[in-house]
Amino acid sequence: MSTPRQRLFSAIGGVAIDALAGAYAGLILVRVVVPSVLYGAEGTGPLSVEECIAMALGTAGCVLLGLFGAGIGRSLLERPQRSGWQAVVTANIGWFVFALTVVAGWVYARIDPSALFSAQGLQGAGRIFSALLSPEFDIIGEALRAMVETIYLAFMATFIAVPFSFAISFFCARNLMNDAPHRRAIYVFLRFLTNFSRSIEPLIWAIVFSVWVGIGPFAGMLALVVHTIASLTKQYAEQIEDVDHGPMEAIAATGARRSQVIWFSVVPQCVIPFLSFTIYRWDINVRMATIIGLVGGGGIGNMLIQYQGLARWNEVGMIVIIIAIVVWIMDVVSARVREALK
Amino acid sequence: MDTLVSVRNLSLTYPNGYRALKDVSFDVQAGEFLVVIGLSGSGKSTLMRTINRLLEPTDGQVMVGGQDVTHVAGEALRHHRRSIGMIFQQFNLIKRHSVLHNVLYGALGEMPAWQSMAGRFSKEQVDEAMRCLEVVGIADRCHHRADALSGGQQQRVAIARALMQRPKILLADEPVASLDPATSHSVMRYLEVLNKEYGTTVICNLHFLSLVRQYASRVVALKGGAKVFEGMPEEITEEWFRAIYGDEAVEVEIR
Ligand SMILES: Nc1ncnc2c1ncn2[C@@H]1O[C@H](COP(=O)(O)OP(=O)(O)OP(=O)(O)O)[C@@H](O)[C@H]1O
Ligand SMILES: [Mg+2]
Repeated sequence: MSTPRQRLFSAIGGVAIDALAGAYAGLILVRVVVPSVLYGAEGTGPLSVEECIAMALGTAGCVLLGLFGAGIGRSLLERPQRSGWQAVVTANIGWFVFALTVVAGWVYARIDPSALFSAQGLQGAGRIFSALLSPEFDIIGEALRAMVETIYLAFMATFIAVPFSFAISFFCARNLMNDAPHRRAIYVFLRFLTNFSRSIEPLIWAIVFSVWVGIGPFAGMLALVVHTIASLTKQYAEQIEDVDHGPMEAIAATGARRSQVIWFSVVPQCVIPFLSFTIYRWDINVRMATIIGLVGGGGIGNMLIQYQGLARWNEVGMIVIIIAIVVWIMDVVSARVREALK
Repeated sequence: MDTLVSVRNLSLTYPNGYRALKDVSFDVQAGEFLVVIGLSGSGKSTLMRTINRLLEPTDGQVMVGGQDVTHVAGEALRHHRRSIGMIFQQFNLIKRHSVLHNVLYGALGEMPAWQSMAGRFSKEQVDEAMRCLEVVGIADRCHHRADALSGGQQQRVAIARALMQRPKILLADEPVASLDPATSHSVMRYLEVLNKEYGTTVICNLHFLSLVRQYASRVVALKGGAKVFEGMPEEITEEWFRAIYGDEAVEVEIR
């Protein structure tokens, strides 16, 4: 069924997973779960001797059980049909690790239901909801202006990003790039670059650019441009990988150049989906621009954070209502347009 | 007669290790209508694509017009492809573009890239494309979108596109496999016109023996990537039929 090489890898992988699971269980148990139950606070600072011992014991225990056929590593990698005590132990290790994670999560998130329903808490909730529901209409002009700024900022970010994404996406499509080693290298490099920059949230880009070009809409727009290029490139490239290869072959058979093959057989199959992705991206960017405004990216988000800082809840209510309405309209309109494009 | 295409000991192994062609040899004379038959998966399409070098053979030789094109690359490869028209079972037109443009794309190989991508086809090229459409009888549909046409009409547009290349050779990979019998004959007759009146050498994959007997001047049969028969259409007897298609096969007529 599998080659010796694959069997070796899954055996090593199984032991590694067992060891990690044991170390994790030991650490969480001794550092978080036990102290927070006993003293109501989890461990801080560097690893203590006890924690290291617990990790070692956990590792040793799980690896040992794994050698007797009761490790979770092998059952995750190979899914063998087990019965008897090994099956019971394997399942229990799995549930135990999961339960420890839930308890640790509860501790770290400082979950405290009593705060949600205390008299003081409910009073605060009443105050803010009543303020939000009686918005301050005096600032409506100012708020609308900021909202318009945000919409244009999102539009500009999308508009600037599109040509870059369009150009890069062809180099990020596996089906166009796998016929020569140097093309594969470019493909791998660009894929890495776009995946990496996509994994950095626009909020973080906004912080970077607010230091670079100063706080304001321009920094927000730049943050969105970077994120949009990365996201659209991925969507465009996936669409290109989905095209029908028949027309490509037909155009290539006429003796056309590579650029002509792409232009005349790939692009026509992609324009409509590309347009659809782009409109959706603008819609997403309006929402993101709002959030980016919170960290100094300008527009309505910026205004929101200022009134929040002053605890002017009626003004905040007005802004929230405007954001909600605009986001809702954008959502409906872009969905309609994309539907019509199909 | 002159030998136009000469396939010598041709073998092709796909990157995944599958041997699709095994030591295939045959000659095609100028002006012939050679039909290639064989079961699904026997390597017919692969053979076509090695002749116009959409694929590169792993072994053996392909000679066209006395020139070895087995491993040509770059400009020489494009020049080689340009001299051979190709039509496909799935037509492979650019669906969203007009019929006329689809035919014009047959001229891409002889244009600078920027000029074609700017859509600047010359008056002569447009006239030529219209003439090609007239040959296949659909000049009146030139401004329709390609996907607005029926299957048979789309295949005729594909023939016009190939014709635009002024090819010496036309490769047809199961040109009628997705058409009904009546439409099949109308498409096959256009291939016959190109062959008889324009002297184009045709190499065509077909599935139906009745079509083979009607249109082929000679037949090559492949089985499992190897040539198992070469001869005249009327030489395909019951025994040969079984040898090519297997014992279970029953011949189906198409009229
Ligand atoms: N790109 C490829 N990679 C690997 N194997 C392939 C590839 N293309 C085709 N093959 C295999 O090569 C063999 C011959 O394929 P080919 O398409 O030439 O057959 P065919 O005679 O044209 O069949 P059909 O009548 O179904 O079109 C098949 O077994 C197929 O699975
Ligand atoms: Mg085929």
